[in-house]
Amino acid sequence: MFRDVWLRMRALLRRKLVETELDDELQFHLERQVEKYVKGGLSGEEATRRARVEFGGVEQVKEEYRDARGVHFIETVLQDLRYGLRTLRKNPGFTAVAVLTLALGIGANTAVFTVVNGVLLRPMPFPEPERLVLVSLTPRGGPFEWQPGVSDRDYLAFREQDQAFERITSFSSRATGNLTGAGDPVQIPVAYVTTDFFPTLRMNPAIGRGFVAEEDEPGRDNVAVLSNELWKERFGADPEILGKTVRLDGISHTVVGVMPAGFAFPEVKVWMPLKIRIDEHNSFTRPVVGRLKPGVTSQQAQAELEAFADRRPLGPGESKKDRIAQIIPLKDLLVANIRPSLLVFAGAVAFVLLIACANVANLFLARAASRGHEMALRSTLGAGRWRLVRQLLTESTLLSITGGVCGILIAFWGVPALLALAPAGRVPRMEMVRMDGWVLAYTFGISVITGVVFGLAPAFQATRSDPRESLSQAGRSVTGSHERMRSALTVSEIALALVLLTGAGLLLKSFLRLRAVNPGFSPHSVITITVDLPDSAYRTGAQMREFHARTLGELSRLPGVSASGAVNLLPLGGFLTMGTFQVEGSQRPPGFMVDKPCISPGYFKAMGIPLLRGREFTEGDNETAPGVVLVSQSVARTLWSGQDPVGKRISMEDEPKPEDWLTVVGVVDDVKQQGLAKGSDPAIYQPYLQIASAFFLSHMTFVVKTTSSPESVAAGIRTVLRSVDKNQPISVASMDTLIAATTAESRFQARLLAAFAVVSLALTIVGIYGVLAYSVAQRTREIGVRMALGAQGADVFGMLLRKALALVSAGIVIGWAGALVLTRVLEKFLFEVKPADLPTFAAVTVILALSALAACYVPTRRAMRVDPMVALRYE
Amino acid sequence: MPRIDLPQGTLDLLILRTLALEPQHGWAISERIQQISSDVLRVQQGSLYPALHRLERRGWIKARWGTSENNRRAKYYELTKTGRKQLEVEKDAWDKLTAAVAQVLGAAQG
Repeated sequence: MFRDVWLRMRALLRRKLVETELDDELQFHLERQVEKYVKGGLSGEEATRRARVEFGGVEQVKEEYRDARGVHFIETVLQDLRYGLRTLRKNPGFTAVAVLTLALGIGANTAVFTVVNGVLLRPMPFPEPERLVLVSLTPRGGPFEWQPGVSDRDYLAFREQDQAFERITSFSSRATGNLTGAGDPVQIPVAYVTTDFFPTLRMNPAIGRGFVAEEDEPGRDNVAVLSNELWKERFGADPEILGKTVRLDGISHTVVGVMPAGFAFPEVKVWMPLKIRIDEHNSFTRPVVGRLKPGVTSQQAQAELEAFADRRPLGPGESKKDRIAQIIPLKDLLVANIRPSLLVFAGAVAFVLLIACANVANLFLARAASRGHEMALRSTLGAGRWRLVRQLLTESTLLSITGGVCGILIAFWGVPALLALAPAGRVPRMEMVRMDGWVLAYTFGISVITGVVFGLAPAFQATRSDPRESLSQAGRSVTGSHERMRSALTVSEIALALVLLTGAGLLLKSFLRLRAVNPGFSPHSVITITVDLPDSAYRTGAQMREFHARTLGELSRLPGVSASGAVNLLPLGGFLTMGTFQVEGSQRPPGFMVDKPCISPGYFKAMGIPLLRGREFTEGDNETAPGVVLVSQSVARTLWSGQDPVGKRISMEDEPKPEDWLTVVGVVDDVKQQGLAKGSDPAIYQPYLQIASAFFLSHMTFVVKTTSSPESVAAGIRTVLRSVDKNQPISVASMDTLIAATTAESRFQARLLAAFAVVSLALTIVGIYGVLAYSVAQRTREIGVRMALGAQGADVFGMLLRKALALVSAGIVIGWAGALVLTRVLEKFLFEVKPADLPTFAAVTVILALSALAACYVPTRRAMRVDPMVALRYE
Repeated sequence: MPRIDLPQGTLDLLILRTLALEPQHGWAISERIQQISSDVLRVQQGSLYPALHRLERRGWIKARWGTSENNRRAKYYELTKTGRKQLEVEKDAWDKLTAAVAQVLGAAQG
């Protein structure tokens, strides 16, 4: 054993000596044989000849001997590497183009993978994250189906009996709180969590403690844990923070802990205790996280949850099938929405790499043709075919790894660009995105695979030719098969590019359609100011109404303001309340529910929502005046088709008393409330001055139509809000920005895919150009002969054009087939566009065909100018 | 003169047997095998040297550089202790095999 290793090491490290020894040994053998024959009576010359013939190829014997040495593999790899480096250095132009192409492909893939890895793949930053799962028991088919959660009632029942979990916790996500008394008032994301929250995640505060068992009881629950970020930003990293109070929504909370840096789950800045209790009207559904006991699999937990779902008492009108029981990886709470987009990007960018591969393979094929002589020579000198293939593969892999290294540099620049392009706040776990070992391993992996993929075909092609034929033709080997393969590669490039172009085209069209949707109001030069009034400072609806009235008054007096108003549920603001109502003298159609915004006088004018009939609300529509409503057109059409709605009466109460009836005073146009991609929502508007419930008044958005530039008015608006109540945080945004934010995801998808498509189109054009230019160069003599025999430039032009058209149309047909299948994955991202949208297919086909023909132009021109004399003399 | 190509695997045995007498260089090994077998067995150089190297790696033979009968530098191979044992093992195996083959052939004839 030891001897074996020693011999191998010797062979590897003292290669020269070992080689000389081998030479000597074989030489000695040959000489002895010659001597023997001479003794036998042959002439010296004849003896030598015979010995040599008998011995066979010295080099072949050496090769076999080297193989037996056992280090042959490493040795030849090293040899191939040296040789490969030399070859690549000798052709700097070729090397640069190939490396650049590959760097682009691998870099783009690395960048996308870095994001996918960070967002989707890297484990949650908690101890033993694989044991943390989401427990979800959600109503089937409801609007919240995709949102994992468990109702409070089920949570309490499940927690009583579950066996699979060590600990289990429920919490509210998506809550916000107004932080005051620490710099400017600000609205921050907060979470209310059960006292088991931190122990379940096994995360302990860096300073202080988490919540103790009784801190969820009223009276003791005014405690809070801060995130490291908030502690630094707002409290100057005060080391004495414990025991101090922070004011959230006007309520004082004692700080008991500060979490370690980087902990923000579920993307919040403050945690406060939550007691889960059941009351009559409680129907909260919250995310639930459990830590599996050691050794318990999530399948076991799933079985347990299903068993629980089967046994749980059913609510009225509920059947067992109505709830989906799921154990989901914890990450899904944050990343489930973004996953499909990211996977589409990953798929698209893989196409770019494939096209890059095809391009470089084409380059290699072209070079293989000119290296046929070299290959033939080497094979005659004893190199086996496998040996030659391996050497060519070493070269291609060397190239692809160089491309990979450059690709990492591209990705270093590309990842921040990608994240900057992403819609703000829509990509969760962004802080996890970084180039780690996995990314590097991935890049290395795809580099090697890339090298083999684009190197394999050319390598076999190059080593296939019969050495005799190749040598006898003085290096100008037959290129027919090369050309076939190059054509095949070009066709696949065109097909791949067409698929990407189609995908990008569909997303772009969808985005443009979405952007062109009329929201029902005029968003231009409208500024929105949103305020959340905490019930600690504003206890009654009346107090809130006073705040609104004062603000509205001040805003209307600002210079540059042409109209102002307020609404509690801004269209496209991400809020939705659908409710029922009663119609006087008739029945509300079953299932017909409406949006019920509360608005101020002037709202319609500021938003540019046209009043179709009747009148708008006035200051006079207050609590002492008779109740009035405005209805949207679709409500009027649904309820009183063909009649005048003005004067009809409805009620928001289920069993209206006489004073509950509200009179319709006008009709306005429909507005998109939920999103541009959704239908218009029927709405019944009420004047905010007639609303008593604080619940409908605490969240209010002021809308201001400006005559001068919105930016100049914004400063005045902030001053107004501060003067009314300096403790309330506000968020100011132009309506255009808000609308753009609702289409940001669609724009991001369209842009990114378009970028990939453009890169792939460029690569494809280069590829087509390469094939044709090469073909022209190869056929210079043929073209010369044809022209000498009387062919015109036009004939030559036609010949090449036919070739190009054949390639392009083959690629387009295959591309269509691919696109028809693959664009289906885009279906759920598309708005009013079918995946098999004919105009899009037609448009991208035209773009591709024109680009391809443009790529043919230069080589074809060159062919037409071939001088027969020069071409023939070439021989 | 009829010659038989060596069956797979027997070359190792022949080399070991040849080296059991005295250390030899490559050429002499092939000559010796040819001589002893009355010219029936011929060792191709193409298989001899890889085989020698294989045996060396297994530790059954070792090589050293020496001077040949005509005063030339030559690489001599000799059996190691394990090589000697291996020779016994292989010889036994071979004897058994040939006896068995002969028996079968004889039976078939009779």
